[in-house]
Amino acid sequence: MHSIAQKEFVSTLRDKRFLVLSVLVLALLLAATLVGRASYQTLQQERQLAQETVNDQFRHQPARHPHRVAHYGSFAFRPRSGLSLLDSGVDSFTGTSVFLEAHQQNSVNFSQAQQSGSLIRFGEMTVAFVLQMLVPLLIIFLCFGAFTQERETGTLKLLLSQGVSLRQVAWGKIVGYSRAVALVVAPALALAAALLFGTEEFASGADLVGRLGLFVLSYAVYFFLFIVGAVVVSAVQASSRAALVTLLGLWILGCIILPKATANLGATLYPAVTKAQMDADVHEEAQHGINGHDPQDQRSAALKAGLLKKYGVDSEEKLPVSVGGIVMSESEAYSAKVYQQHFADLNATYERQNRLSDWVGLLNPYQAIRPLSMGLAGSDFAHYVHFQQAAEAYRYSLVQRLNALQASMGYGDKERKLDAHTWQQLPLFAYQAPPLGWALPRLLLPVVALLLWAVGLSWLGLRLISNSRLA
Amino acid sequence: MNYILEARDLRKEYPNKLALQGLNLQIEPGEVFCLLGQNGAGKSTTINLFLGFIAPTSGAAFVNGLEVALNPLKIKEHLAYIPENVMLYPHLTGLENLALFSSLAGFKYKEAELLDYLHHAGLPAEAVRRRVGTYSKGMRQKVGIAIAVAKHAKVLLLDEPTSGLDPKASNEFSQLLTQLSAEGTAVLMATHDIFRAKEVGTRVGIMREGELVDVRPTAALNAQELEQLYLTYMHN
Repeated sequence: MHSIAQKEFVSTLRDKRFLVLSVLVLALLLAATLVGRASYQTLQQERQLAQETVNDQFRHQPARHPHRVAHYGSFAFRPRSGLSLLDSGVDSFTGTSVFLEAHQQNSVNFSQAQQSGSLIRFGEMTVAFVLQMLVPLLIIFLCFGAFTQERETGTLKLLLSQGVSLRQVAWGKIVGYSRAVALVVAPALALAAALLFGTEEFASGADLVGRLGLFVLSYAVYFFLFIVGAVVVSAVQASSRAALVTLLGLWILGCIILPKATANLGATLYPAVTKAQMDADVHEEAQHGINGHDPQDQRSAALKAGLLKKYGVDSEEKLPVSVGGIVMSESEAYSAKVYQQHFADLNATYERQNRLSDWVGLLNPYQAIRPLSMGLAGSDFAHYVHFQQAAEAYRYSLVQRLNALQASMGYGDKERKLDAHTWQQLPLFAYQAPPLGWALPRLLLPVVALLLWAVGLSWLGLRLISNSRLA
Repeated sequence: MNYILEARDLRKEYPNKLALQGLNLQIEPGEVFCLLGQNGAGKSTTINLFLGFIAPTSGAAFVNGLEVALNPLKIKEHLAYIPENVMLYPHLTGLENLALFSSLAGFKYKEAELLDYLHHAGLPAEAVRRRVGTYSKGMRQKVGIAIAVAKHAKVLLLDEPTSGLDPKASNEFSQLLTQLSAEGTAVLMATHDIFRAKEVGTRVGIMREGELVDVRPTAALNAQELEQLYLTYMHN
């Protein structure tokens, strides 16, 4: 087997067609890595600067009433994950910043796609794009003649007459092709690793090492699948032409048609409400709670009566707390609860859509590697939702803290202000991306799908090859 | 008697063709058996059945007492094969091709030994380190011969092995077969070349439409008589 692997490796390296293709793919990979790094640097610096600026502006507000500060608000900018330089996932299409203010749960806005030309609809030239779409094409062109060419030229008979089995020949070819593919992909991944761990801009650590390790391992399995699949197709097809057409057909089906069809099916089966509809629904339901800005609100009056009773006083002036602050706090709690319910429903819909695609990963390895790659890179929808939730949790705690400050000001708070120094005591938004341990359980299905494919295809494919009479 | 090659009622039938009908054949060690016949007579089918490349419809082929269908890998330890048109890996040199095929057969030769095999097969020294893609058919055939010889097999299965060789190389090949035969190697050779068959063969078998119609010891016939016999069968 080693001899056949070595023969395939050497023959492949000496094949000018492969050399041209692999140099092209390697150049694309290296370019995508460097472009990814440049994009990461730019965006990260922009977001960091913007976050520092808004934090600075927030902390240096003049003496103000706390509720004014709550409406002045702040921004949360989503930092990019280190591995997003390899796979930007949904990052380009999801927003980058969210305005945090009282009574309102704003959506994350200003995605790269919004600010880019229409070409971004065709996808970005990321390392993940090259690894997921183009390297399989390279593998197809490399392996389609694995058996058919041997059969067509007659070398297979001579090979088998030496006493090797078809299974050994197949494994030798798989190992040889794997080495050739590794030679193309490894430099780009090594460059990415050097950038990630050799420069200070990335927060390297065990988590990043783990994510990168699994990222590389996942793609190794993915490429292995394509190599085994191509070798098997080559073994069972009658001619090189038929093998190439079959493999290209499978590539188009798996990498283009099925993902689109699944996305459309998901959107049809699990329709998501629009942003406008959700805002309207939240607004309508929030009306059932206390309106902190409406002094005539009956529920506010009831709350005030409860406070008077609680503190054993007969007028608002004698209360140790500001009724307005308590009302604001209650109003915020209610509207946040309403929003969270709607947000959870919307996310559940998106989750169902994504889950459908994940399940299709059992049929299509491309739809298994894609969520796995994004998940490990920290650029998938789950990581985005994690940021959204963290931003909302911060917004809620900040606003409630300001409401508590208002409440503590007592009667007549609206006529007074709190010292500018107060705002410097408030915590700033500091986002901590979730660790690998958080992401892995969410990626279990794609991992299982890839492993099932690897085991199943190897077993069934090699069985098919063994049982075929090729000579 | 221990036959190194044996066919018992060996039959191969394709959906629209009877390729071999009830072949019975025994070949002893050191014997050179030449199969003569027109294209489609069943010569290559017989060789492919002994190699286990195709399954018999009925009957059985044996190599060194082992049934081919039941021991497809084991029997190849005893066999070396040279096809009519030896195809090698074009991106490897002649030397690398020989090293590859020898290692697959379980032989790890030093470079000097490999060069020796190629030299004895008649490959020019300047060609051994050139890629096979630049070789002529005759040069590839010589590498094929080197591969077969380097395997030290008990049986050589040759399917038109001298096709593409120049007269000098053909003659050298005949001498090589005679030498191997003397060392106990059995040879089953399919050929159109009646004179070569007479020259190197110990027995000749004439095949027609999948049937072995006659077997004669070559010592009992001269070349003209063999040719006459062959033509008689072909015209009948």
